[in-house]
Amino acid sequence: MITTAPPRALTVRIRPVLGLASVAAATIATAMALLWAPPDAVQGEVQRIMYVHVPAAWTAYLAFVVVFLGSVGWLWSRRLAFDAVAVASAEVGVLFTGLALVAGSIWAKPTWGVWWTWEPRLITTAIMFVMYVGYLLLRGLSPGIEQRATRSAVIGIVAVLNVPVVHLSVTWMNALHQLPTVLRPGGSPALDERMLATLLVGVLAFTLIYLWMVAKRATLELARSARVMEGLR
Amino acid sequence: MSARRAWLVAARELRADLRQPDGVVAAATFMAALILLQSIVVGPQVARESGVAPALYWIALLFAALVTALRSFDRELEDDALDAVLALPGGRDALYAGKVLALAGTLALVGLVGGLLAIAFLDLAIALPGHLGLATALGIVALPGIVVLDVALTLRLRARAALVPVLALPVLVPQLVAATSASAAALAGDASASLAWSALLLAIALVYAVLGLTIVPTAIE
Repeated sequence: MITTAPPRALTVRIRPVLGLASVAAATIATAMALLWAPPDAVQGEVQRIMYVHVPAAWTAYLAFVVVFLGSVGWLWSRRLAFDAVAVASAEVGVLFTGLALVAGSIWAKPTWGVWWTWEPRLITTAIMFVMYVGYLLLRGLSPGIEQRATRSAVIGIVAVLNVPVVHLSVTWMNALHQLPTVLRPGGSPALDERMLATLLVGVLAFTLIYLWMVAKRATLELARSARVMEGLR
Repeated sequence: MSARRAWLVAARELRADLRQPDGVVAAATFMAALILLQSIVVGPQVARESGVAPALYWIALLFAALVTALRSFDRELEDDALDAVLALPGGRDALYAGKVLALAGTLALVGLVGGLLAIAFLDLAIALPGHLGLATALGIVALPGIVVLDVALTLRLRARAALVPVLALPVLVPQLVAATSASAAALAGDASASLAWSALLLAIALVYAVLGLTIVPTAIE
């Protein structure tokens, strides 16, 4: 038995609050990144791209972990809310991965001298992007609500194994990309305090934007599914 | 899952391949053509290098695996045999595990033919034949779990032939890198590196076998 009932978290008035919080956090993060955080001693002003690149990448990781959890939830309970959250999270995750790749490429040109190079972090991130585009393609081509949700859930579970590979690729292989600076094994963040604070506010802003987009998209997906099922009755 | 049922599906698959070996022949020919084409495109000197020849070999074998798995499920659909297998108790688990076993067997044959062709055409010098054999065997074991998973997920979908590589190739990157590195190390005479990459292949094969058997049968329709 499939249920299209939306979870309480989506039915209460959470989205306007998330929207307002996202705008506030994004405004503060932008001001901190452009005006308060000091320029990098070596790279200068161009390093400020980090405040978009890193939060976008981290939010993409979060999004794909949520796809995994939503996929497990669907296979476990057959509640369409889990599938709706999974697809919403996959779409936003693909968007943020694309943003991280583009921002990284813009940052690479003045610092590495090239837009793109053979580099483990770049390649594994691009592979992760393609993997979730494949997830969305499979959804788009699968007929039937249940069939589509089940098939994509399997891909959502398998694909999450790539997330730690992306994050740790720079420590496993010789890399041009810098090693993890904040979430580094066995040490405190190797970053100026103001830079770290700005980065964390940026991560908060991106996370709130992510949650707002996922809540909106998941609600839409559930409404679509309910309409399709009503049409079938 | 009953191991006996999985073996029955695998044996049925291999028997069908023996009686009508078009899928195996197509895969072996496809692999030979790819090895020849790749060595012509990059040139014989580059194609012989220990870092390049294994990469060409594994990419060719990966595509051969996709061709074989697609053909295997197409045969089921053409003969309307799939629904009968799925209707059996434990049919979904047995179908997945049996297809994985059968594909591994077919790939072993295709991989052997392709490997001999690569050695002959490229005049490869093998420093550690035992390590190369181990790397090849584990590489072949590590591929079918994901390939069968993706072919099963796209059953009866339009644009399936295009969708399967899009889904499978990104997930198979670790297997491809590990198999290529293990084989390259064996060709170059680096025993410890070859064994380390082979161990990674074994770990990958185990992870995907458990994952596949846990979740894939629910998605086969």
